[in-house]
Amino acid sequence: MRSDALLNEAVRGPSGPRKHRMLPSWVATTALLLPTYAWLTLAVLLPLLTMFVFSFMSATPMGKAPITFTLKHYRAFVDQPYLLNIGWTSLVIGFWTTLLCAIFGFLAAVALARATVGRMRETLLILILLPFWTNGLVRVFSWTMVLRENGFLDNVLHMVFADAGSISFLYTRYAIVLGLVHGYLPYMILTCYIALVTIDDAIIEAAASLGARWWTILFRILIPMAAPGLISGAVLTFVPVIGSFMEPRILGGKVGVTMGTVIEDQFTQAFNWPLGAALSFTLLAVVLAIFATFSGVLRRGAAA
Amino acid sequence: MNNITRRNTLQLISAGLIAGAGYSMLPRKAAAAGSITVLNWQGYGTDEAWSIKAFQESTGIEVVHDYYSSEAEMLTKLRTNPGAYDLVVLNAARCAQAMAEDLIAPIDYSKVPNISSVAENLRSNENFNKDGVGYAVPWVWGLTALAMREGLPKADSYAVLGDAAYKGRVALQDDAVGVIAAAALLTGQDMNNPKDLDLVKETLKGFKPNVKLLWSTEDQWNKSFAAKEFDVAMYWSGGSVRSKRVSKLPVDFVVPKEGGIGWVDGLGVPASAPNMEGALAFANWMIDPKFYVEWATKAGAPASSNVAAMESLPADDLSRQIHKPEYIATMSIMSALPDDRREAFNNLWQEVKAFYAE
Amino acid sequence: MKQIGRIYLLVVLFFLYTPIVVMMAMGFNESQLYELPFTFSFRWYDALLGNKQLLTAGMNSIIIAVITSVLATSLGTLAATALARRTFRGKSLLQLLLLPPIAIPWLITGTAMLVFFYWSGIGRGMHALLIGHVALAIPYVVLVVGTGFKTIRADLEEAAMSLGSTPIHAFFSVTLPLLYPSILGAALFAFAVSLDQFVISYFLATPGYSTLPVQIYSAIRKGFTPEINAISTLLLLGSMTVILIFARFAKPGDTSDKR
Repeated sequence: MRSDALLNEAVRGPSGPRKHRMLPSWVATTALLLPTYAWLTLAVLLPLLTMFVFSFMSATPMGKAPITFTLKHYRAFVDQPYLLNIGWTSLVIGFWTTLLCAIFGFLAAVALARATVGRMRETLLILILLPFWTNGLVRVFSWTMVLRENGFLDNVLHMVFADAGSISFLYTRYAIVLGLVHGYLPYMILTCYIALVTIDDAIIEAAASLGARWWTILFRILIPMAAPGLISGAVLTFVPVIGSFMEPRILGGKVGVTMGTVIEDQFTQAFNWPLGAALSFTLLAVVLAIFATFSGVLRRGAAA
Repeated sequence: MNNITRRNTLQLISAGLIAGAGYSMLPRKAAAAGSITVLNWQGYGTDEAWSIKAFQESTGIEVVHDYYSSEAEMLTKLRTNPGAYDLVVLNAARCAQAMAEDLIAPIDYSKVPNISSVAENLRSNENFNKDGVGYAVPWVWGLTALAMREGLPKADSYAVLGDAAYKGRVALQDDAVGVIAAAALLTGQDMNNPKDLDLVKETLKGFKPNVKLLWSTEDQWNKSFAAKEFDVAMYWSGGSVRSKRVSKLPVDFVVPKEGGIGWVDGLGVPASAPNMEGALAFANWMIDPKFYVEWATKAGAPASSNVAAMESLPADDLSRQIHKPEYIATMSIMSALPDDRREAFNNLWQEVKAFYAE
Repeated sequence: MKQIGRIYLLVVLFFLYTPIVVMMAMGFNESQLYELPFTFSFRWYDALLGNKQLLTAGMNSIIIAVITSVLATSLGTLAATALARRTFRGKSLLQLLLLPPIAIPWLITGTAMLVFFYWSGIGRGMHALLIGHVALAIPYVVLVVGTGFKTIRADLEEAAMSLGSTPIHAFFSVTLPLLYPSILGAALFAFAVSLDQFVISYFLATPGYSTLPVQIYSAIRKGFTPEINAISTLLLLGSMTVILIFARFAKPGDTSDKR
């Protein structure tokens, strides 16, 4: 269907791009989008919509308990004010994770795009993405072995300074952020790299030969050009981190209480899907609001 | 079953999509006469390889497993997979819920001859019975109480969880029902229905300086204990036997004066089970002394509901020493919670956890 | 300057591989509880060889991940093309719809899928797993490929067309080569998303059929043994070898050609 539509356009005349745009293009657009969005709708969006409907129910609609519709689950932050603290913690963890990923990931992408070429670059890129091919749970458990008292970190330290105490920081927020940064850094490196790799050497050489200092090149050329990558990377990091529950639970010990773990508990322990779902959708709304504000600021910044 | 009707359109879309993806929809696993599917926690008795092999050799029935990682999920799987399971392991506290929803069928005890020596107290547990009809074969029972590092003075009360001597050396179970039960027992209340929840909350909050971590799996317990991250913890009786025997950890299991938190797991047959006969044969196998002794001594198990099975254990067996027969009569057993109380328990525990995390 | 960049990359790699190396090392450690000090042993690899279930699960994971990667990358690239190159109403809504699958914790998505797939008759099994994995990988692909689109110039494609090239030909001969790094990256990500998908796989796999993440997740209560480390190590080394060989013999650097 898609190729037909495109071919027809082509057959109507070997004309310039202007002509193509004027032809009704909705057929091709639909053909490009339909398979993906049909798939997404069936497999994820409809199930999530079901959950959304559940979030207005008085109880999980799987038992025999009578179901009434209610908004009470969306009032949870008012009724259980301690959730506000937990929500704030999640946002702070998400913010630091995203910021650290952005800084280290961007620099890694710059290094990848500027300091390497050809096969070495491809190999390095693949090596950066490969740790992802191990299961996340296994990676997080490995971090506990590194970070715990008398774990690998302490052992390495004691090889150098035999008398040093323990620098274990397992079961702290730092451990959670470390685990999350490790889990999401490759996303940021990849998206920034994709944005940076198209920069023409000539631009930077020209800038340098005109006397631009490195920070001018960084702030005036590299960061603006990497902006789409930084934004995608931030989305791919911040959004899932807010709802993550494995890393906080395993690396955070008793401080690992986040919105993700609260939601998980509602599903696994409390069997209160409506509340769990309501909390997730509230979280989604907050995330969207943050990005809306953020993109508004960016747009104004770009216009200025 | 539910208040949302199936949509034929969706079926069509999905069928089309699946055909497009190149996979025809397979019908549910046919109930071959020679197979049963068991739904259980992983590594919890039913899936011991030697036992499955022996069972197949003696009956010709093959045992397949599916697992759950929370009891809520077990119920969800039962509801959304009619016809998929033949036998399910379920806690007494959850059994009532499954019974109420007609997810499990009454048991024909004549097919389970070993039931004759099962402790009467467990068999008649109100959570396993409805209108005088039994819906589950009591399988194993155990206690949640305290475990301490060997060599430490044995605590006689749950108060040790808040004892200043163990600052930062305590692990609690990350389970609302479990921790609330401990705090309720400590404050002299009914663990299944504490009247003064505020007192329970304050008691739990008082443990804060001591709490190092909240564990949710036996694995996590073992690894953290092995790494010497805590000295005192709430723990399962069967778990402590396994930790000591299999993992060689220096653990003492202690039942304080307030009593242990008792639980019973039963074997239920889903109402939709394709192979009830086979399921009951396997249930009988599971409470057979021969299976139990091997399980308990090789791997480490909770106590069998079958008194004869407990008596076949060597007298010095760890499991036998920990699970004293008189407990069956005296311990408080976790029972079914009404929805509002369960919700109150969970909200309380969330609040306490948030307080710990501050 | 280049030296600093390369050293920095080594530091990043060191950080990324720390837990991976630990994971590999613990597969050779005698202790079941991952205790230190380290005692070398092949015990877990021996156990793994006898563990047919785990080996089959590992194989299944790879098969699912490969199919997911191919399907999600093709579908996602098509959608990204439309989102990047065409103007139409409702575009921002479509872009917004990519976020829920990423933002809602997998546990909820998994539960929702289990219930919905039951109601809609899709059921559980390998097909359900594939449907779920592809859907969850698509947003990542669209975002990654979309980033690629933002950084290449649309006028090159238009120039090709004005020189008589058909849109399809222009896409394959001009746009696709420029997009090559992003598409490759997206495919690697889709593969990773699938391999990491323990929650959803766990809900959608039928008894008797399982993938490695399902094995890991259901073993979490009892505790997984270093056998898991062993098979993860083998999987990682295997895929590393395959992909590095592929990178070695593949046509090097479309990225450098275009300069």
